[in-house]
Amino acid sequence: MSGPAYTPTDEELAHLQKLSSEFEPEVTGPLVGERQSSSAITTEYANADPVYRVKTAALPSKYSHYRTCRGDGHCGWRAIAFTYFEALLRLGDRNRFLEEETRLRSMGNLLNSIGFQEHLYEDFADECFDLLRKTESLVSAGNDERAAAELLASFNDVGVSMAIITYFKLLTSAWIQTHPNDFAPFLDLGQDIRQYCSTQIEPSVCEIDHVGMSALAEVLVKQAGFALEVLYLDRSAGEEINTYRFDPVSNDGLPLHNPPTLRLLYRPGHYDILYKMEDVQQPAIPQAPLHVALADYADEFVPMPTSRGMSDVMSLIPGMYPTGLGQNWPSVSYDYNPSPIPQPQMAAVPTYTSVPVPTTSQEYVNTAHHNVPLESPVGMSLNPPMTIERGGPFRPSMYELEPGFQSNHSQSLPFQTSIFRNSHYNTAHFLNPDFQPEEWSPDSEYVTGSRSRHKSASQ
Amino acid sequence: MTTSDISSNSEAKISTPSRSSTSSANVTKRLQTELMSLMMSSPPGISAFPNDENLLQWTATIDGPDATPYAGLSFKLSFEFPNTYPLTPPTVLFKTPIYHPNIDFSGRICLDILKDKWSAIYNVQSVLLSLQSLLGEPNNASPLNGQAAELWDKDPVEYKRLVLARHRDDEETGLGSF
Repeated sequence: MSGPAYTPTDEELAHLQKLSSEFEPEVTGPLVGERQSSSAITTEYANADPVYRVKTAALPSKYSHYRTCRGDGHCGWRAIAFTYFEALLRLGDRNRFLEEETRLRSMGNLLNSIGFQEHLYEDFADECFDLLRKTESLVSAGNDERAAAELLASFNDVGVSMAIITYFKLLTSAWIQTHPNDFAPFLDLGQDIRQYCSTQIEPSVCEIDHVGMSALAEVLVKQAGFALEVLYLDRSAGEEINTYRFDPVSNDGLPLHNPPTLRLLYRPGHYDILYKMEDVQQPAIPQAPLHVALADYADEFVPMPTSRGMSDVMSLIPGMYPTGLGQNWPSVSYDYNPSPIPQPQMAAVPTYTSVPVPTTSQEYVNTAHHNVPLESPVGMSLNPPMTIERGGPFRPSMYELEPGFQSNHSQSLPFQTSIFRNSHYNTAHFLNPDFQPEEWSPDSEYVTGSRSRHKSASQ
Repeated sequence: MTTSDISSNSEAKISTPSRSSTSSANVTKRLQTELMSLMMSSPPGISAFPNDENLLQWTATIDGPDATPYAGLSFKLSFEFPNTYPLTPPTVLFKTPIYHPNIDFSGRICLDILKDKWSAIYNVQSVLLSLQSLLGEPNNASPLNGQAAELWDKDPVEYKRLVLARHRDDEETGLGSF
């Protein structure tokens, strides 16, 4: 019956047509999944088109973890909503929750001004405020883990999840309609803004499009001082996944420095959530001691020959002290955590990992403050690159022979704490404007190089 | 949900996963507010009220707009609200027989905002107003009743005759007789 000469009858064709038009992709799985290693994505594409294979192979080293969203036609909205809450949680500052609630409430006027009736949207808004408060109370009780679990559970509750998405959709629609000049040029020719919103933004079932995403980034993400980063995994040319960023600006219009970032992975028709290693660090004891870490750093700034034959001169370079570029610096930067933009110097804000994690690879002196990322994703090894960096292929920069550099550097250090927020692998890079880690070693190039190229993106 | 064949797939998408226990409370609260605002200030030509004890089932009435073939006629409709309302649309049926390009002989309505373009900020009132304007401005590009779509432009007199021929007053119909 399945020979090449077989031709289906009209009824069969009609049946197949019916099956095909009724087909819906599988929409099982949690609305928002557990965080998992992003090497799963690489595995998923291992047998796929070479373009995907190349692009996904590079993924786990930059984005250590990811989280799936159910592909039910809401995933883009949900991914942004969830990561927005998660970013607040990561900051760990209860005031930020209150600020956000106040800010969102104040946008009731925006909703009313374009004719949404309060009694029609208040339930959705309340659901959002409830979750903000619930998370806030857990955070202020110091129970971040429970807060994270609560967040995940809430977003897996269809009622809560959809209410929050609906609320954000309405905010988005209101924003577009009150800023027509920003968005009209991006609509289809002749499309009316109001009509666009009622057919592409407000419907209960409509996936976010680029215009909607820009507007949501404006109204929700950027105003909260967060950045939104979307990685487009498609078959376009190139070896890297294309990245698009929405960056927040401060009140005076300057870009915010190293904002907390919501990261999404876009595959045609679907959004998932991505994390960099530093996003994953559990927020811990709030006031990770800034000065302790600095003192620590200064103490270590002593030339110290190692068994690997590193020359003294090498240790003059910031970051090249024996404890290892990749191991010690990350701990410093984690301690400093990228603080939320409005008060960049507040130490109490987001702190990553101040729990010293004993690591097997520590053969160096000062282990007390080493914080190695808790889990290394497959394909991302922290140690090998450092070893190599200290080895032969290193190309010295002019600064390493510069006398007095070290002392200058040590003195100015306490006043440059913001540098630590840039990159935990390449902090030294900022003290040496011409320092180019990419050129150090072909083997280490991958991990360090990519990090430094995306330093602005790494928080 | 007798008309699941015509309700959109999307409806199923939202309602299948387990819902929070709060959602039915939300439906009730929402419908109560809607009822209240309808009773306080109902636009002319539309009305709606829950059936007996069941807040999830309403009966509504719209008057045919002036200057349309439906002028002077009044139509009863039934609303059935899912537990996921307002995230999913209510099922709306014309109970009064009606001759219209976008409404079939069982009273089922083809209107995007009742299906894939449904938004949670729509409510009974906005649905009724949309239906009222649908009477005067049918979407003849995708008709459920092809003959009506054709006659609308071609032969307004015959169209009007068929509208009147199909229309029955409430006494003759009796709700739920379908």
